Amino acid sequence: MSLNPHTNNARTTLLGVLIVYALTVAINLGEFWPFSIYPMFSQAGNPWSRAIIREVQPEDSLSWNALPLADVPGQPYGVRNGGVDPIDLANFVSKTAIWNQDRVAALSLMLLADPPKEPLRLMVYRVQARLTEQDSIAMTAMPYVVVGTDLPPDTKHLNPELRP
Amino acid sequence: MIPRSRQWHFFDSLWHHLFGFERPDSRGQRIFRRLFEAFIAGASVWLAWYWGRYTLRISDIVLELGFARYIDISFMHGNALPIWNAWAITGLIILGFLRIDRWIPLGRWAYMAAMLLLTLQYAARFVLGEIPHSSNLVGMGLMGFALAELQFKDRVAGGRFAIGFSYFFIGLGYTSAAASKLIARGFAWADGRHLWMWINEKAVDEVARSGSVELNWVQQLALDHWWIATAFLAFGLITEALAWLVWYSGTRYVAMWAVFGLHMGIWVTMDILFALSVYEILLLGLPWAAIIDRLWPEKGLAAN
Repeated sequence: MSLNPHTNNARTTLLGVLIVYALTVAINLGEFWPFSIYPMFSQAGNPWSRAIIREVQPEDSLSWNALPLADVPGQPYGVRNGGVDPIDLANFVSKTAIWNQDRVAALSLMLLADPPKEPLRLMVYRVQARLTEQDSIAMTAMPYVVVGTDLPPDTKHLNPELRP
Repeated sequence: MIPRSRQWHFFDSLWHHLFGFERPDSRGQRIFRRLFEAFIAGASVWLAWYWGRYTLRISDIVLELGFARYIDISFMHGNALPIWNAWAITGLIILGFLRIDRWIPLGRWAYMAAMLLLTLQYAARFVLGEIPHSSNLVGMGLMGFALAELQFKDRVAGGRFAIGFSYFFIGLGYTSAAASKLIARGFAWADGRHLWMWINEKAVDEVARSGSVELNWVQQLALDHWWIATAFLAFGLITEALAWLVWYSGTRYVAMWAVFGLHMGIWVTMDILFALSVYEILLLGLPWAAIIDRLWPEKGLAAN
């Protein structure tokens, strides 16, 4: 029994794509768009890390201590105002290993690329959560960095624990 | 003659269900092929511009993906190249869709060239740490049409290949996602407390996005009742594990609608909507060709 020539062609093409798919994801940490592996959500129950932002005023005294999420002071600031994806913000904060001048400037550009007319200062918090033994979720927020339209990006506005 | 083994019959059957090259063509199939291609082409152009405009606000690289692991992708940052790239992708996709291949040296490579430039656009855009999969179905759809142009002289066969290619990678993608979960956590993955974690995670994302959050009644129900949260996760896991059934015409539409339900569940419980993927699933989740043939039969041909 012989296959339809188109079927033969399709089979060979599909096999070729599968080989390229496997090779590219194997040597690229599982990602070479549009080829991917899909382990998202597989690490169920693990602690997670995200980020939030609060507006701060120049006269505010800043604390760099971690605190429960519900106790974070200041007016919440939504990144949609500047057209930013909150997942970008969360990953930017959690995946940055070394906070140098360029990194602070890049965060400032991302958040303030379309600056409002009024001066604006933003405190970026990293939020971390874990499942407790009592089946509740403990969420704490750690202040990371202040950026602002009237504040040149600088590592001196970082949480002292993060300064290089 | 040596009889083909049962395995080979399985694969012959798979190719038949995926591509159906032996089936007679019809008006409904022609319309649906172009409709699906138009969706993939339009979605690809949309992604090129969406990513291109966003890339203008990027000035540093947190995590390299794809091409960015091999070339210094920063040449795409701090200038208008992402916009020029979006124009190039748009032009190439128009050339591909309109089949303008006889008068240009690019020939039938227009879609593949667009595919490569879109991959570059993705690599320039996603350097901030996020690894999204919301555009993967569209990307694989474009690859299917790009390969169809290059591998099939006969465009009817090419169109059928492209559609079967999308079904194949939809089935493979979701099923492999279930396998990842089962390998990592086993059946305990469906423990409702895990959904509680994700609901809170996405609530924090919403606070970051808009400044406030209000949980909907489905989220509240899942947070109040462990067994409901567990049922949601179990449905999702089973749906993903059986997604390979989209490869077979007899089970295709039930499986596609289950995947659609999975996405709706993810939307209401975790506030994550992969809009382009959902549109594609809706497009592939109904027998549009047969519906068109039934409503608008060709003269001399019985409706399917």
